Amino acid sequence: MTAEPANATAAYENGLYVYCVTRGDGNRLLGPIGLDGQVVYTVGSGNIRAVVHTCQAEPYQSQDPQAVQGWVVAHQNVMLAAAEAFGTVLPMAFDMIVRGSPGAGAVAALRDWLDERRDRFTRLLDRLAGKAEYGVQVLWDRQVIAAWLVEGDDELHKMQNEAQGKPKGLAHLLQQKLAKTVRAAMEKQADLFAEDFYARIRRCVEDVRVDKLKKVDGGKAHPAAIHCGGDPRQMLLNLSCLMQEGSGDLGRVLDDIQRNKGISVRFTGPWPPYSFVGG
Amino acid sequence: MQPELPKAYHRATLVDLLDRVLDKGLFLRADLVISLAGIPLIGATLSLAVAGTQTMLKYGVLSDWDEAIRAVPPQQRQLLRERHPSGPLMASQAKLATTA
Repeated sequence: MTAEPANATAAYENGLYVYCVTRGDGNRLLGPIGLDGQVVYTVGSGNIRAVVHTCQAEPYQSQDPQAVQGWVVAHQNVMLAAAEAFGTVLPMAFDMIVRGSPGAGAVAALRDWLDERRDRFTRLLDRLAGKAEYGVQVLWDRQVIAAWLVEGDDELHKMQNEAQGKPKGLAHLLQQKLAKTVRAAMEKQADLFAEDFYARIRRCVEDVRVDKLKKVDGGKAHPAAIHCGGDPRQMLLNLSCLMQEGSGDLGRVLDDIQRNKGISVRFTGPWPPYSFVGG
Repeated sequence: MQPELPKAYHRATLVDLLDRVLDKGLFLRADLVISLAGIPLIGATLSLAVAGTQTMLKYGVLSDWDEAIRAVPPQQRQLLRERHPSGPLMASQAKLATTA
C-alpha cells in the first residue's frame, strides 16, 4: 500500500478514470484490478479520496459488446474492492474521466472537484454508512391476472359466457368487447397493486427510488399494453431500495407480495448505492 | 452477515448492472469530464454500445437511450445521427428530433 505508480506522473496531463469516492487519504494502491487491468489507486484531498486509474483523455468505447461488458463488470468489481478496503463508497457512473484544464493536470482538477463537494460527499458518506442498495422488481403474469379478474368479476364472467356458443362473427365481437373491458380492469388493478406494494415496501426501507418499468424478455413495457407474444410477465414496479445491511423486514414483505396469484418478485443486491448519490 | 435478507429471487444480471452504472451514480461536472466531439461522454459510450450490438438492444439499453440523448443539445444529436446513419436507433432519434 504505497504511493501512486511512478509512471503515473507523466500521464497526469491526460485523464483519470474515476470509480468512486470514499473516506480516507490518497496514495493507496488497490492493484491492477481496473478496466483492462489498469492499476487502481487513490487521489485524496483532505479526508476524502477518489479511486482512480490513469488513462488517456478519451472515453472508453468499443463496437465490441464483450469489451464493453468487460469494462462495466470491471467498474463494478473495483467498486466492490474499494468498499471492502475503504468502507462506504459513493459510486460514479461508468466512464467518468477527469481531464486536466489548461495549466492544471487531471489530479489537480480532481482534487478541486473533491474540495468543492466535500460537504456534500461527507454528508452522503455518513448517510449511506452501513447501508446498501437492493433492486426490487415486481412482475405480474398477464394471463394469470386476466383469468383471475374474469373469475372474480360477475359482469366479466357473464360476458365470457355470452361469447361462448355464439355464431363466429358475433362471438368475435363479444370477445373483442370482453378483451377491452379486461384491459381496463387490468390497468386499474395494476395501479392498485403498484400503490399497495410500493407502500408496503416503502415502510420497511430507509429510502426508495422509483425506476422506469422495463420490458420482460420481449413483452410490453406497460402493464396495460396489449399482450402479443413473448413473456407474459410485465413489470408493475421497479424500485431501488436503500436499507441497512442485515435488515430482514423487506424479505418478509416481498414474500407476502409474492403470495399474490400471478405476482413474482425479482430481488437483486446488495449493490453499491448507485441510486442514492444524487447524479 | 445477512441472515434475514430475502434470498435472491433472481441472480443479478448484466442488465441490472447496466441499469445502474450507465445512468446512475455520481457524474462529473461538465467542464471536467472528457467528451468526444462535444458529445457528453455517457451518451457517446451508450451510442456505441447500442449501435454496436444487438445484445445491448436485447438487454433494453435502447430504452435508456431516449433519456440519455435528451440531455444532448440538438446540434449534437444531429452529429450523432450522422455518426449512426442507419440501424435501430433511427426510430427513436427521429421521434426525438421532431419533439425536441
